[in-house]
Amino acid sequence: MNILLALIPISLLLLGAAIWAFLWAVRGGQFDDLDTPALDMLRDEDRPAPPRTPAPPARPDGD
Amino acid sequence: MNRALDLRCFHCGEALPADPVKVRIGDQDRLVCCTGCGAAANWIRDAGLADYYTLRQADGARVDIAPGDYSAWDRGDVQSGHAVATPEGREITVVVEGMRCAACAWLIDHALRREPGVCDVGANAVTGRVRIGWNPDATPLSNVLSRLAALGYRPHLAQGEAAERERRRERNRLIARLGVAALGATQAMMFAEALYLDTANEMAPATRDFFRWITFLVSTPVVFFSGWPFLTGMVAELRHRRPGMDTLVATSVLLAYFASLVETLRGGAHVWFDAAVMFVLFLLAARFLERMARRQASAQLDTLARAQPALAWRETVAGREQVPVTALAAGDVVQVAAGDTVPADGELLDRAAAMDESLLTGESVPVPKAAGDLLYAGSTCRESAARLRVTRTGSDTRLSQLTRAVEQAQAQRPRLARFADAVAMRFVVALFIAAGLVFWAWWQVEPARAFEIALAVLVVSCPCALSLAVPAALATSHGALAKRGVLALGADALETLAQADTVVLDKTGTLTLGRPRLVRADAVGDGDVQALQRIAAALEANAGHPLAAAFADGAVPVASQVVAAPGQGVSGTVDGREWRLGRAEFACAGQDDGALWLGDGARAFARFEVADPLRPDAREAVAALRELGLAPRLLSGDGQATVAAVATEVGITDFHARQSPEDKLAAVRALQAAGHRVLAVGDGINDAPVLAGADVSVAMAAGAPLAHRSAGLVLAGSALMRLPESVALARRCRRIIHQNLGWALAYNVVALPFAALGWVTPGLAALGMAASSLVVTANALRLGRAPRGNE
Repeated sequence: MNILLALIPISLLLLGAAIWAFLWAVRGGQFDDLDTPALDMLRDEDRPAPPRTPAPPARPDGD
Repeated sequence: MNRALDLRCFHCGEALPADPVKVRIGDQDRLVCCTGCGAAANWIRDAGLADYYTLRQADGARVDIAPGDYSAWDRGDVQSGHAVATPEGREITVVVEGMRCAACAWLIDHALRREPGVCDVGANAVTGRVRIGWNPDATPLSNVLSRLAALGYRPHLAQGEAAERERRRERNRLIARLGVAALGATQAMMFAEALYLDTANEMAPATRDFFRWITFLVSTPVVFFSGWPFLTGMVAELRHRRPGMDTLVATSVLLAYFASLVETLRGGAHVWFDAAVMFVLFLLAARFLERMARRQASAQLDTLARAQPALAWRETVAGREQVPVTALAAGDVVQVAAGDTVPADGELLDRAAAMDESLLTGESVPVPKAAGDLLYAGSTCRESAARLRVTRTGSDTRLSQLTRAVEQAQAQRPRLARFADAVAMRFVVALFIAAGLVFWAWWQVEPARAFEIALAVLVVSCPCALSLAVPAALATSHGALAKRGVLALGADALETLAQADTVVLDKTGTLTLGRPRLVRADAVGDGDVQALQRIAAALEANAGHPLAAAFADGAVPVASQVVAAPGQGVSGTVDGREWRLGRAEFACAGQDDGALWLGDGARAFARFEVADPLRPDAREAVAALRELGLAPRLLSGDGQATVAAVATEVGITDFHARQSPEDKLAAVRALQAAGHRVLAVGDGINDAPVLAGADVSVAMAAGAPLAHRSAGLVLAGSALMRLPESVALARRCRRIIHQNLGWALAYNVVALPFAALGWVTPGLAALGMAASSLVVTANALRLGRAPRGNE
């Protein structure tokens, strides 16, 4: 049973570390938006250069 | 199957007009409703962001054809207090309209990051806020904001830097509490497990006590840090002598915690630290979900009420200067351009003008004003520019008076006796009295067991299930409502919604779309309707008339020498020819028949019928409401004929026309005095006092921000059918709450006598406590599922 005297303090240390890491993540804004980052990984970043024109002129293609 | 989808705009999902615009996305031609949406879709495709259309979960927002003017945002006095300096330049947080899902945030992130001069973008779909870091030397802020608006996300000023930071900090604190509760509770559970597994009591007392003290150590931060909101809530409730839910929760937690501490100290048979911490965790999670659902709603809507940098043109000796509205004083002379909003109440100078006071009165036809007449802040200047001498500013204006009426009505909103709170209050008192009596009785018979049994009574009847009953059901229903596009803002909105028996509806913008559309165009003789329509559009567009958009969007010829005749129509020259558009006697010397005529002053060329069409599901929704037992009533600021027509069409017999906001509020008060519970539905500022004064109210998302502020719920989509669905859900929620309360009370009533007789072992007490909480939670989760049958 003496092993408990070592294991329980270790578990408490781990708990403390987990709580510290969690609070650090909260302060760093990791939990601000949980939905958008999930979409980011679905797309490649290397796209052609952005168009510089503010907006293409309105042109109805229909006739 | 795709037929129905094809009839809606590919970008914003609204009904398509007769001549939609085509946009090629990927390898398919898509139809959009207007050139605004078309330009946005084209840009998104050209920017290589077309994935947005596959990622999104909700339709985009309709894009204005004419982009807004954001140059005022570049001014230092507007930015001060909102933007902060950063190493790269400046940073500002804006609230945007129309951010509906994560894909929107993704699109904004990628679109803005491509703008030159933008160094950092953080769009958050949950709060509807976008943080923009930009370099003022490389690009003005207005460029970035125009890009945002061109995609359909209209930006507004957020509350100011300090308030924004406080909002973020508060949310993070709640998440931190939840995280600590989760980590601490699981760990405490592990240690408690060791104690539970010692079924034969073989553990040495020293080891057992060691485990108990460790569990105590781990539970303490959970109870006092994570459970802090409940503890402060209890203190506040007790101070007001109104013990409620928080008192109940805090009592249960503290009871389990201190009972365990006492047992640890005196080496008793059992501890319940694990129950205390699990309980904090469950309740905090339920509260977190419910809060987030409501805060998400209010974060987007609330701030819009004090949106837009408000600037006015003030006349000076030298000419004119642009000043913030707050700097205006009585006596100043202010210029208002056609289509702009009047910044303060004042007296009209020089010539006559037509004012759109729909924001204040709900009357959609512009009101003609002569020199010397009073103009109200918040009304819009139509047709021609105006000059006015300011008489009242700020909180003295008619608009502010209406705002105050809202606040007063809100304060007087009849509060329902909250069933759960009342039960909780009596229960806690009864529990302590019962425990005291049991202790006293056993003290007489067997003093050695008195304390242990009184403790068992307290623990077994610990009102855990009772205090979980309401939050669990509320959290699930708020989630289910949000999934349907109904955002609950008020905490007790659901409870009241379930009890409503009368529904008061507004017409414009609620039953109807609130946007006039051309329903019929006829050429007189053999004229070309399309060409005549474009001429009408040119005239209207130049006059800045609200009907302009109804005529055409697309290529419109240019009209010159456009002169508006207030109350009559407009005249102008298109393609070298003089035209008149308006009432029959003005346009073609005919008889007024309510329609718009296009002519040259003598001969008629075309006749247009313009109407504000009903929402497609208005009739169905009214019928469904009636089926739920709600008596529908129509109160509108419009004229008798229009209101009667709409009422007959949707099937409402009880309608009243020409109602001012005060009239509407009085009508609601009269209904309430007659014992009815009134549900009000509206969208405009003129509805705000009614929305605030009714027992429960629903505002349309497209409506005025002030209406949102006074409403209990906001309908995010345009589907009116969500209304009866929400009422049905609220009723199911109430039923489940009653079931839960019944079950929890029954459990306690049954368990208490057994505990009082000393038959309940501490282990059994812990088991019963957990089991009854689980039953209550599982019952509440049923609300998240789709209703069965015709419920």
